[in-house]
Amino acid sequence: MIRWVALLCAALLVLGVSGYPAAGQGTVRLTHGKMVIAVINDQSGVYADLGGKNGVEAVKMAVEDFQKRYGASSLGGTVDVLSADHQNKPDVGASKAAEFYDRDNAGLVIDVPTSSVGIAIAHVAAQKHRLFFAVGAATTALSNEDCNKYTFHYGYDVYMLANGTAIAVVKQGGTQWYIVYPNYAFGQDMNAKFSAAVDHAGGKVLLSDPTPFPNPTEDFSTFLIKARTLRPRLQILGAMQAGQDLVNLVKQYNEFGLRQQGVKLAIGLLFLTDIHSLTPAAIQGTVFTTAWYWNMDKQAREWADRFYARTKVRPTFVQAGDYDGTWQYLEAVRRAGTDDADKVVAQLEGYRFNDFFARHAQIRKQDHVLLHDAYLAEVKAPADVKEPWDYVKIVQTIPAGQAFQPLSQVHCTMAP
Amino acid sequence: METILIQLFNGLINGAFYALLSLGLAVIFGMLRVVNFMHGALYMLGAFGAFLLGTTLGVSFWWALLISPLAVAAVGYGLERTLLRRLYDLDVLYNLLLTFGLTLLIQDVMRLRFGIQGVPYPAPPQLQGVVVVGFMFFPTYRLFVLVFSLAVCLGTWWLIERTRAGMIIRASTENPMLTRALGVDVDRWIPLVFAFGVALAGLAGVLAAPMRAVSPLMGADLIITTFAIVVIGGMGSILGSVVTGFVVGALSAVAAVYYPAAANVLVFVIMTVVLLVRPAGLFGAAEAA
Amino acid sequence: MMRRALGWAALAAVALALPWIMYPVLATDIVTWGLFAAAFDILLGYTGLLSFGQAAYFGGGAYAAALLAQRAGVPFPLNALAAGLIAAVMAVPLMGLAIRRRGIYFAMITLAFAEMVFYVINEWRSLTGGENGVQGIPRVAPGGFSLTSPLVYYYAALPLAVLGLLLCWRIVRSPFGRVLLAIRENEVRTEMLGYPVGRYKLIAAVLSCAISGFAGGLWVINHGFVALDAVHWSTSGLVLTMVLLGGIGTRLGPLAGAALVLYLRDFLSTWTDAWGVVTGLIFIAVILIFRRGIVGTLEPLLVRGPTADRASPAPAGLSPQGGPVP
Repeated sequence: MIRWVALLCAALLVLGVSGYPAAGQGTVRLTHGKMVIAVINDQSGVYADLGGKNGVEAVKMAVEDFQKRYGASSLGGTVDVLSADHQNKPDVGASKAAEFYDRDNAGLVIDVPTSSVGIAIAHVAAQKHRLFFAVGAATTALSNEDCNKYTFHYGYDVYMLANGTAIAVVKQGGTQWYIVYPNYAFGQDMNAKFSAAVDHAGGKVLLSDPTPFPNPTEDFSTFLIKARTLRPRLQILGAMQAGQDLVNLVKQYNEFGLRQQGVKLAIGLLFLTDIHSLTPAAIQGTVFTTAWYWNMDKQAREWADRFYARTKVRPTFVQAGDYDGTWQYLEAVRRAGTDDADKVVAQLEGYRFNDFFARHAQIRKQDHVLLHDAYLAEVKAPADVKEPWDYVKIVQTIPAGQAFQPLSQVHCTMAP
Repeated sequence: METILIQLFNGLINGAFYALLSLGLAVIFGMLRVVNFMHGALYMLGAFGAFLLGTTLGVSFWWALLISPLAVAAVGYGLERTLLRRLYDLDVLYNLLLTFGLTLLIQDVMRLRFGIQGVPYPAPPQLQGVVVVGFMFFPTYRLFVLVFSLAVCLGTWWLIERTRAGMIIRASTENPMLTRALGVDVDRWIPLVFAFGVALAGLAGVLAAPMRAVSPLMGADLIITTFAIVVIGGMGSILGSVVTGFVVGALSAVAAVYYPAAANVLVFVIMTVVLLVRPAGLFGAAEAA
Repeated sequence: MMRRALGWAALAAVALALPWIMYPVLATDIVTWGLFAAAFDILLGYTGLLSFGQAAYFGGGAYAAALLAQRAGVPFPLNALAAGLIAAVMAVPLMGLAIRRRGIYFAMITLAFAEMVFYVINEWRSLTGGENGVQGIPRVAPGGFSLTSPLVYYYAALPLAVLGLLLCWRIVRSPFGRVLLAIRENEVRTEMLGYPVGRYKLIAAVLSCAISGFAGGLWVINHGFVALDAVHWSTSGLVLTMVLLGGIGTRLGPLAGAALVLYLRDFLSTWTDAWGVVTGLIFIAVILIFRRGIVGTLEPLLVRGPTADRASPAPAGLSPQGGPVP
């Protein structure tokens, strides 16, 4: 009798030691024996600071943390993180993505600022049946006309920005707008959404002008002069430029002394790194919408401290989104038990979670947008800045249900 | 109407850069028969020179205005002596190709060192602020650019047309052998003239630094427009290049009021028309097409 | 004779095996750019015309093929052929105007025209997508036969590219080609001899541009998307690098140059992004030290015996006389 019990115990022991899967988790079988995650972003151009090399670091951090939490072999193999610079060019980005998918068997391409590149890579992902998490790109096209089964819009989008900022500014009294936007997918989308939001809130867009993108001269004087001549009716200059473009525009806005002449500045998309370049003094009081801020609460700050220890700078929300997207992808692979794209997609759709980056979050099934709380923020006056990089205070939380495009407005048909 | 006048003024300021650059290009081509594709890259080096002088040595803008072009001139002198002179016996196109290769090299080296988005350079404190006269308002610095470049263009014209040095240069170009026979050491002048032309580009760069982003590719598209201007003005005609530069700048800015995109293309449309009507350029001597 | 036949056989073998040796998309790129470079050489190496704006035709052709495929559903070889035709149509007025000047002026004018094409394509957003480019270009042969696999596409594009290449060689090794060489050597004298030089130059230019456009069509279908880079002056610079490095005025030079440059770029991209430095150095080295390019330098060493039926070797200068060119 005792012998049978002993044999049973031994058997159970052996099975346990050999890694019989714990309840609820299967062993992960990888289609190519190892996993490859590719970070494609701008590493040398106008958007190099908001994602760039530190974005790659964030992804690596996520992989390391995941393996630390669940064990080095929890994913059934090693995870390589590759990266490439798309130079803000759609053809370069698409080529790199195709190469990563084909030559390196990448299961995920992540980051990609510059909406035109984002759209291009979304098409490549659909063609190759591999996943793409657009963290840096903002255009809502990714969840509407260019949506597809393998593309996820992870972090923020133009609708979120327009809805938050336009309404807040109009409420403050800035009803007459002149919008300048960079002439590519992102800027065009910003112009459309901001114009609609301003109208909806009771304001009026007097005029909107495209500025060249890329802008070799970085000279916005034509538009600043135009802004001045639109007075006295004009109250708000809506700048939809991003990254270094924005930094130059704001500098010239100050050079032309437009604020003293009664034209206030509203900024469509503002990153922590832009405030750092401009210094808070140049844009204090500016109200903007953001997906996340490193010092917004204890949970965010904990992660930001670890990022700081690694990179010596504070993270932008894109870098945080890179980490989070990678983490959620790896979690989805673990839940699916494989890195087969279709199975991972099934795990991601409809998934709800709450973590340091995304609060009250859900990956919406119909358009693959990550819904989560957004925040209305304000640039602090220099006197209120208590530590390096602490440039922003959160004014208001926009709940996940309101921050993103309502389903009724979404036009997305995904091939199965 | 207001808008147009202000934009016209703004355009003249852009035109000043075209004028300075095409002036240097025209001087070099007129005197040396070298088509200096590097001109845009040297303009960029002038701007970076001002930036580096400011950040590492604390040199003010005013001093940089003098020192940086001299530094660029030295670079030009060095390049001419070591590389360009080897190709004088060959077809002129080889120089174009060599300077094209040098452009790629210089731009990419700067990009690797400084990144592509550029570095900031503030306007000097004495020139900050806005000048308002009636409805015309202008950042003081930009007005300064306009006045200063006009002065430089006039100064160069005077130098070439009215001084002995200029006379030697002109003679060396038209007939080097005869000039040598008259006892002038022509070979000594060639690199000096090249350095001078290049210094003009560097000067334009320093002037541009507070206004534009100081970035490695700041001269890349500018050089093509400059080529078009020199073709319109007439190769080798200094007056032609300068006048055309200002005019094109002004016209482009005014066109931009109605159709922003047109500003960039206008110069090429003008070039096409000029080629159809007067192939030698507006001020160029009629040549065997 | 045997050596020559062996040489050609070796080349054919390499061409057939290429997509197995390297990433098929890269292999197809080498073939299509090789064709572009060969077409470019008709102007540069044989007619002595340095055009700095061939990207307008290569990229323009690429856009044309892309739009025909995506919007009008035109299947594979037809869209590329149509691209060549459209490039030819573009070339007639532009080149017609440019060849009124010679030498540097011609170079500068072609550069300016290419910039114009760039801006037009950038602005005509409704057609070209502007900065966003054209995405999701289908790759279909007549009868719905799918060419999605990069390997299959290589073998579909290869014979067409070879035909294009043969056409280039035929052009330069014909009586017409002889006149082009004469124009390169001494235009005035050729005119004196009674040849309508302007017409010859225009025909050479239009042919070169047409084949460039065709190459652009083949190239764009390979990638499935096209954006402004294709019509940017850096593309003109790249093909120029290829031809210079490979050897102007030789048959295999452009091909060798294309293969080398593209392979180098791909190889280096894993280590560094200092591609401009490399290209610049190649330019400087070639111009200063070995103007004949790789093939131009190697060919006299490998081929011995009478060279009567070869096109005259790459000259020491683009035109033999130094000094001012009017």
